[in-house]
Amino acid sequence: MHYDSTITRCGQTKIEPIIALSGITKSFGPTQVLSHVDFDVRPGEIHALVGENGAGKSTCISLLYGLNKPTTGEILFDGAQTQIQSPAHAQQLGVGCVFQELSLAGSLSVAENIFAGRAPSKFGKVIWSELRARAEALLAEFDLTVDVSKPVDSLPISSRQIVEIAKALSLDSRVLLLDEPTSALTPDEVEGLFSVLRSLTQKGIGIVYVSHHMSEIFEISDRITVLRDGQTITTESTAETTQAHIVSSMIGSAHPGDVEHSEDQLGDVLMRVTNLTDGTHFEDVSFGIRRGEIVGLAGLLGSRRSEIVRSLIGLGGSVTGKIEYKSQEVSFNNLRAAMDANIGFVPEERKTEGLFLDYPISTNLAAANLEKHTRLGMLNGRSIDEASRDAIDAFSVKTGGPDDIVGSLSGGNQQKILLSKWLEREPELLIIEEPTKGVDVGAKFQIHTELKRRAAAGTAIIIVSSDFPELVALSNRILVVHQGHVVADVLASEADEDGLIRMAAGLPAPTDASSNLYEGTPT
Amino acid sequence: MTMISSQNQQVRTSFLRSIGRAFVDIRELTLLVLILGIVVVMSSINPYFLSLANFRAVAVGMAPIAVIVIGMAILLASGGFDLSVGSVMALSSTIVAMLLVAGGSIPLAVLAGLILGAAVGFVNGMLVTRLGINPLIATLGTMSIARGAALVLTEGFSVSSLPAEYAWLGRASFGGIPAIVILMLAMVIVFDLAMRHTRFFRQVYFIGANEKAAMLSGVRVDRVRITAYVLTGILAALAGVLLSSRLMSGTPTAGNGIELQVLAAAVIGGASLRGGEGTILGAFLGVVFVALVNNSMTMQAVSIYWQMVVTGSVLVSAVALDMLIRNGRT
Repeated sequence: MHYDSTITRCGQTKIEPIIALSGITKSFGPTQVLSHVDFDVRPGEIHALVGENGAGKSTCISLLYGLNKPTTGEILFDGAQTQIQSPAHAQQLGVGCVFQELSLAGSLSVAENIFAGRAPSKFGKVIWSELRARAEALLAEFDLTVDVSKPVDSLPISSRQIVEIAKALSLDSRVLLLDEPTSALTPDEVEGLFSVLRSLTQKGIGIVYVSHHMSEIFEISDRITVLRDGQTITTESTAETTQAHIVSSMIGSAHPGDVEHSEDQLGDVLMRVTNLTDGTHFEDVSFGIRRGEIVGLAGLLGSRRSEIVRSLIGLGGSVTGKIEYKSQEVSFNNLRAAMDANIGFVPEERKTEGLFLDYPISTNLAAANLEKHTRLGMLNGRSIDEASRDAIDAFSVKTGGPDDIVGSLSGGNQQKILLSKWLEREPELLIIEEPTKGVDVGAKFQIHTELKRRAAAGTAIIIVSSDFPELVALSNRILVVHQGHVVADVLASEADEDGLIRMAAGLPAPTDASSNLYEGTPT
Repeated sequence: MTMISSQNQQVRTSFLRSIGRAFVDIRELTLLVLILGIVVVMSSINPYFLSLANFRAVAVGMAPIAVIVIGMAILLASGGFDLSVGSVMALSSTIVAMLLVAGGSIPLAVLAGLILGAAVGFVNGMLVTRLGINPLIATLGTMSIARGAALVLTEGFSVSSLPAEYAWLGRASFGGIPAIVILMLAMVIVFDLAMRHTRFFRQVYFIGANEKAAMLSGVRVDRVRITAYVLTGILAALAGVLLSSRLMSGTPTAGNGIELQVLAAAVIGGASLRGGEGTILGAFLGVVFVALVNNSMTMQAVSIYWQMVVTGSVLVSAVALDMLIRNGRT
């Protein structure tokens, strides 16, 4: 990579920004999305852009990348007013972008994807060896060793995300726009990404970092700008602010309190699993869950957490061992059988496994509740509609109504719909994978509050999550899974994020320390 | 970004709903307009076109296709399809005819034909779901097997000399409307309503839109898909019965190439190979439209070869137009 090294370290002195939005207003038809937004990126800094879904972050990114043009206001590039015409123009100016939704061509090789349309060539013929060498060199910075001639489809999602980032870096950008770059990465890969980002800032590259993860933002950023309802609320130096302040700026009110949830409210044992083994993925898994209890399953990618919970409800292969549910030994052959026993399951991938993106909200909500809305074999549209309105109100989903297409909603609102679909069944046991993956802070808070409320009302909940602070905040107990074995079973009140990560990575547990999901909130 | 207060949410919703309904029905509306257009234009060109006799002939002629398109539309909505329908139609028409010639009673022979269709459909469904064979390959295979079986059984000849009473279904009429047409319309209405309102058939759309999400929502995916194939097999066999009753013979070469006409009509009517969409009414209107186009050309003495060219062009245009509308919408 060839970076301009004439710019040296960024100090406290006034530095000209590389690119700046100045007094930007943006309307789509009658809807004003941004209003008088000011935002800039200086060379060598990481500037975090935060806000709830719909606050205008993505619109800012799209303006900087030439996907949209501002209605009024100026975009300044090196201090000069510039009209960014298109993404191609943005790239010429030195702006690279990594999108939240992967933009890779799955059947093409990793190397071709990284240098999409810019492969090194001679007389029009691609020089494959050089293409591969350059791709490998880029990926090596992430400690990602893959065969770059393999199709992107053959990689796990997390590696694809890294390929996406490498693709943006290959442009020799001066400014890099990152929209939720870590949503699919493991903690190790996040660390890899951060060290790459730090080395980029050393070379004078300015980085715009959009994320929902407060801990990441506070670890990596130099400045933070908060957007709310399309307006710049504040821009602060990371070193001089707190998570609580940023979060309350984002939601526009003081941080609300938690639902109280204590040990002695727990009921009788609802499910007990003894020595569950499937021969390939996991072995000797034993645990129990009581009514009203939230049990978290912590583990890294590949720890087989999902295989374990899915095998409980007939979605895995054959298993040995014993599953007792309501004091009776059970073996569910398929999800339907588990549903008939009043168990619910919210899968991890809401777009591919959870929702029907082309269908309206009402249809999606009804998908797991068809019996309830059926009279004599006929579906009752009115009762589906009423249930949908209730769910939309209960979760304050931002939408025009039950007929809106789910694919048009933001990630947080989609997740609320997916969760509502199962909550409507009022399951006695609810199994949830990644309850808040890729959702904004406000939606995350609402989802957490609702899960705690349900638990307080007696629902037993098993949560699989890669978000360890989330597990600590929600669970009564946390089981740590490493390579298909439960390596620890700890009370959440005694657990801390670092300890969980160490145990999940197969290291011995450390002692002490505490961690909070939202600073200032007791767990 | 769309901040909507809860007060005007109700108003906004009903407004959105009417817009939504219009979009859903736009294909049906467009087809109706086109069909009326053909009727108006052809009536002015050819006086014979607007006669009861002509309409009766068109309706009776398209009845087997219309019966089969019901099954095909359901399969397409579920993300599958079936190439074996024409062969099943031929096989059932010959089996029923042979049983009748051998002295079997009419209800028993017809029942045997339908069960045979169900059996082929069941095999298709099992191949596609349990073995995971692509529907194109699986039904291409059964298409060849069923056609071959019909030819083997009859050594390639038509089976005639059927009992006179058997002609009733294919030739009876009530108040000038042929029984076969009444049956066709009744089935279209019943299955259209079923696809819109019954729990079982709504599951078909879930499977077509996102099979995995459907499974994880508790839909018994394999069971529904197999049922759709069985239903299609039965409907194809029924089409064979109707045809043999009308022609008073079992023909092993009947319905050759009909699977593509059925697919084309369903797609013109709003179904998609991607699954998750399409209605029975739309598919039926697609059949009517294609039948009228062909009828018009026949009347104007356009050669049968040119008719194929036109049918193909109509199919491609319909799909292209749909893509344009879709892209314009998003």
